[in-house]
Amino acid sequence: MTVRYFAVLRDRRGVGEETLSTDCESIGDFICELVVKHQLDLAPALIRAAQDGSFVDDSTPIRDGAQIVLVPPVSGG
Amino acid sequence: MGLRSCSFPRYREVDPVFRLSHQPLIPIVHACDSAGGFVTFEGKVRNHANLREVLRLEYEAYEDLAVSEGEKLVAEAVARYRLESATVVHRVGLLEVGETAVIIQTAAAHRREAFAGCEWILDQLKHRVPIWKKEYYADGDSGWVGADAPGPNPELDAQLTQRQRRLAEIGDAGQARLKAASVLLVGAGGLAAGCLPYLAAAGVGTLGLIDDDVVDVSNLHRQILFSVEDVGRLKVERAAQFVNLLNPTVEVHRHAERLTEANVDRFVASYDWIVDGSDNLPTKFLLNQACRRHSKPLVTASVHGFEGQLLTVLPDGPCLRCLFPTVPAGRCVGTCAENGILGVVPGTLGILQANEVLKGILGYGEFLSHQTQLIDLRTGDTMRLSRQMNPDCPVCGSGMDICDPCEVESISAAQARFGEYIIVDVREPDEEPHLDCAHVRLPFSGLGELPEGNLVVVCETGTRSLRVAARYLAAGRSNVVSLRGGVASLAPDEPR
Repeated sequence: MTVRYFAVLRDRRGVGEETLSTDCESIGDFICELVVKHQLDLAPALIRAAQDGSFVDDSTPIRDGAQIVLVPPVSGG
Repeated sequence: MGLRSCSFPRYREVDPVFRLSHQPLIPIVHACDSAGGFVTFEGKVRNHANLREVLRLEYEAYEDLAVSEGEKLVAEAVARYRLESATVVHRVGLLEVGETAVIIQTAAAHRREAFAGCEWILDQLKHRVPIWKKEYYADGDSGWVGADAPGPNPELDAQLTQRQRRLAEIGDAGQARLKAASVLLVGAGGLAAGCLPYLAAAGVGTLGLIDDDVVDVSNLHRQILFSVEDVGRLKVERAAQFVNLLNPTVEVHRHAERLTEANVDRFVASYDWIVDGSDNLPTKFLLNQACRRHSKPLVTASVHGFEGQLLTVLPDGPCLRCLFPTVPAGRCVGTCAENGILGVVPGTLGILQANEVLKGILGYGEFLSHQTQLIDLRTGDTMRLSRQMNPDCPVCGSGMDICDPCEVESISAAQARFGEYIIVDVREPDEEPHLDCAHVRLPFSGLGELPEGNLVVVCETGTRSLRVAARYLAAGRSNVVSLRGGVASLAPDEPR
């Protein structure tokens, strides 16, 4: 699958997009895995994920070959 | 009032002076040993207004009230800008072109305060003090006008909006809807710099601006309504002047205050559309909730580096909390000052916010009410991600308000939550950390595994400790929390 990082997540990950594989079954577990692995320094509860163009909740199963976009709260104005 | 002398620091003891005069005005010579900057402003009768030739003006005042309001205003200016002296004299009666209508004199230790105070008095005078102005035009017509808002001018209105009225979707009917509409912009910063000029130029009848901030030189690369001359001045005042110059037919309401829980309902209820141009998450969430309560549409945007995020919340659509149910800790995603920001990013997002409002008023196109638009200006990529109502939303669903689980407000909150706990101080040795209570010291730079048990992580301001707590929470450990605000926020009676 491909993962795109938005705003502060991109800064902390150091790349905007990467191709990954995972053993996680749900979106929520996958977010936790990425937060720990890449030290994203943001509580997983604050990160929202869109799978193939739609925001989904944490219990949603991950689809094979999905494009996942991770969106944190953004505060600047 | 003649010669004055005073010694530093005297600004609180200055007698505010406000007078009305039926006689021609002459500037007063004033002196003050502790002031280095003296500003004298003379407002004169001009031979044109709103593209019409003006022959003379007549000022009329409700005199007792004008003097008492004027004195209050001058006293406020003295306190706000630390003026050493301030004097205002306003003419009443009939004045010819070239005659002086008002003289404002300020003195301050430094020139910047003297200029800023003088201009602030002038701006406030126009909409707080009950003095009315009647313009006599060359064509024989005359009319009373608000001292601030120029008189109605249907001809100018029509000329300004000619090109957009040619669009079938707008026409005269759409233009009338724009004229009747009111829009509140929260925050007069980078997003407003994109949004405000286009709403004003399109002929939105009433624009409200709320922001308590003053212009800082570091704002200017993105907040292009302002110039270097404006540093230190109130953003809402300068932004309102920008609008008045661009389209004098727009009525601008300026609110030089911060949006809070106490005033948000009053503001949201008074406007048709709300544009969130704020720079912090608490304000964004506060607005989202208030717009829900009052069934007002909200266009919210936020920016980070090269990227921006835009969405519209309609009264019957998903809200910001449907998307982000958890309230983030204040500084967990940083600010423009910390993250950096490219000037064109808020400008672009602000223009798109204006477009959402225009769609709403004029009824063209489709809103971003079930989508969030992400824009990356490195590449020009935009993405629209669809979003739905969330039945567990704390604002519009049945969900509970969830706070960020990795922070506590105080040591006593940690006590209440855990009973027993260990304090872990992650400050570095060169910060010379000191705490009076029992604690473990584990510097952030070389942080290894944390001890077992309930932990309260502290640092100087609460930023590094939040990172530590978030990392452990993410790894499934929920008994590690960060002290919000860091040791700097410990109450005097709490152990340090």
